[in-house]
Amino acid sequence: MSPGTASRAVVIGAGLAGLTAADQLLAAGVEVVVLEARQRVGGRARGIEVAPGEWVDAGAAYLGERHTELVDLLARLGLKTAPTAMEGDSRFMFGSGGSTRHGRFPPLNAVALGDMFELLDELVREVDPHSPWLTAGADRLDQLTAADWADQHLRHEDARLFFPLFLGEMMAADPADVSMLHVAFYLRAGGGISYLNDFEGGAQDSRVDGGAHRICELLAERLPAGTLRLGEPVVAVHDAADAVTVHTERASYDADAVVVAVPPRLAQELDVVPAVPHPRATSRTGRGCAVKVQLVYPEPVWRRDGLSGWSVNAEGPLLSTVDDSPHHGSAGVLTGFVTGAAAHAYATLTHREQVEAATAQAARIFPDLPPPLAVHVTDWLGEEWSRGCYAALFGPGDWTRLGPHLTRPHGRIHWAGTETSTEFFGLMEGAVRSGRRAAADILCATQPEAGARS
Amino acid sequence: MSSPTIEAGAPVIRAIFRRVLEVEDVTDDTSFFDAGGDSLLATRVLSAIARELGVELTFDDFVIAPTPAGLTTQVDSRRS
Repeated sequence: MSPGTASRAVVIGAGLAGLTAADQLLAAGVEVVVLEARQRVGGRARGIEVAPGEWVDAGAAYLGERHTELVDLLARLGLKTAPTAMEGDSRFMFGSGGSTRHGRFPPLNAVALGDMFELLDELVREVDPHSPWLTAGADRLDQLTAADWADQHLRHEDARLFFPLFLGEMMAADPADVSMLHVAFYLRAGGGISYLNDFEGGAQDSRVDGGAHRICELLAERLPAGTLRLGEPVVAVHDAADAVTVHTERASYDADAVVVAVPPRLAQELDVVPAVPHPRATSRTGRGCAVKVQLVYPEPVWRRDGLSGWSVNAEGPLLSTVDDSPHHGSAGVLTGFVTGAAAHAYATLTHREQVEAATAQAARIFPDLPPPLAVHVTDWLGEEWSRGCYAALFGPGDWTRLGPHLTRPHGRIHWAGTETSTEFFGLMEGAVRSGRRAAADILCATQPEAGARS
Repeated sequence: MSSPTIEAGAPVIRAIFRRVLEVEDVTDDTSFFDAGGDSLLATRVLSAIARELGVELTFDDFVIAPTPAGLTTQVDSRRS
C-alpha cells in the first residue's frame, strides 16, 4: 500500500449497502471489518422458509431491469430472478362487497385518478433528481405534507380514497407524515410513477430466486473468516488524529475509514466525535410504515377461481395482496401489505390478533380460501435495527435540512444506505449504488493516483 | 361520414398519447398498451381527454378501443 491509502476500513451494518461497500473495498485490497447489530446479515432483506427449501421475502423483494447495479451484482453472485407476472383477475374491496376485474385497475373513477396522476407527474417532472432541495419552490413543497397536498388538490372522493393507498404501496408512507417534496423525489428517483408502480416491465418485474436475502448471504460468504462480527452493535465512532475508532459494547476497531451503512434514524443515534455538524435524521424523519404478512396455503388455491392473488382494499389491515408463491414450489403464498396509517394500528395488536385479522380478511377477499398452514407477520416498524421499511420517510423540512449533506463524508466517516442514494432511493438498487459510491469515495480520497495502480 | 369532431379530436388524442407515452411515433391506429402504456398511464389519457375535449370516458371505454382513432369515435359518440 502506498502512503495515504486506506488499508483498514470498518463497515457498520451488514445490509445490502454495507456489504456492497465491503466487497468493493476488499477487492481493492483494503482490510475490512463488518460490524452488524443483528445475529444475521441482510438488514431489510430477510427470508422466510415457507416450505422446505422454499423462501419468500419478508422485506425487500422486487427488482426491475433499470436496477442495473443490482442486476449486475446478481449475475456476479450467480443468483437468478423469477418473474412476478401474474395471470388472472384482481379483487377489489371498495365500499360494500368486493368486485372482480380483469387487470389491476380498481373500480374507481378513472378520470379522477388520472387527474391525480397528471398532477403527481407534473411534480415528479419538476423535482431536481440529484438535489431535490434545489427544486424551484422546494421550501414550500418540503413544508407541505402529502396529506396537505391531497386536501388542496384532490377534489374527487375516489382520488382522496386512492391517494393514501397509492403512497402506501409505493413507499409505505402515511400521507400525514411525509413531505410532498419527498413524495415527488421518491417517485422520480424510482424511475417515475409508472415504472415504480408496474410489475411486468417495471420496478416489481422480478424477485430474487431463493429470496433477496441470498444476495447478502453470498456477499457475506466472500468476507475473510472472522471479519464479519454479528450481534455487535456500534455505539460510538471517534475520529482522532491517527485513526478513526469504532466502539462496540465488546471491542474497539481502529481504521483509516468508516462506512456508516445503517438507516438515517440509527445513524443519527451514533455517538460520533467530532460531532457531525448536520443531522442524519430529524424528529420529522419517519419510519417506513410497512408490516408484511405472509399467509401460507397448501397451494395457490385462488388460481383455481381464475384470480391472480392481487387485491386492493379500502380497509386494512391488508391494503393490498399479491401472489408470492415460490416459483417452483407447491406452496401457495399470499403476501399482504399493511402500510401507512394502517401499519401503525396493526403494529399495536398482539401477534394472535394480527394473525386472526389477516386470516379473516384474506378469506373475505378470496372466496373458498382454506385456513392457512402458517401466517408470518414481519413488523418492520418495531425492528430496532431498521426502524421501518421500505425506507426512512423524509418529513416536512427534511430534504432542505438533510439533503445537502446526505453523501458528504464527515472526516474519515462515509455514509451509505439506500437513503443516501438519489438514484432509486429506498430500493435495493439504491442500497447497492450507495455502497459502491461510499467505497469509491474512500478509494479515491486515499488514492489520488488510483489510475496508476493497475 | 367524416364528422368534424373526429377531424378535431384525433390530433388532440394523438398529442396526448405522445405526451403520456413519451414517444414521437403515434398514428391514429397506435395501440396504447402495445406502445408501452399501462393502466396508470391510461387514466392520465382519460384525464387529458376530459380536460381538452370535455368528454369523460371510463376505463372500460378505454380498454375497448385504446387507439387515437377508437377513442375519437368514442368521444364523438358521447357528444352526438
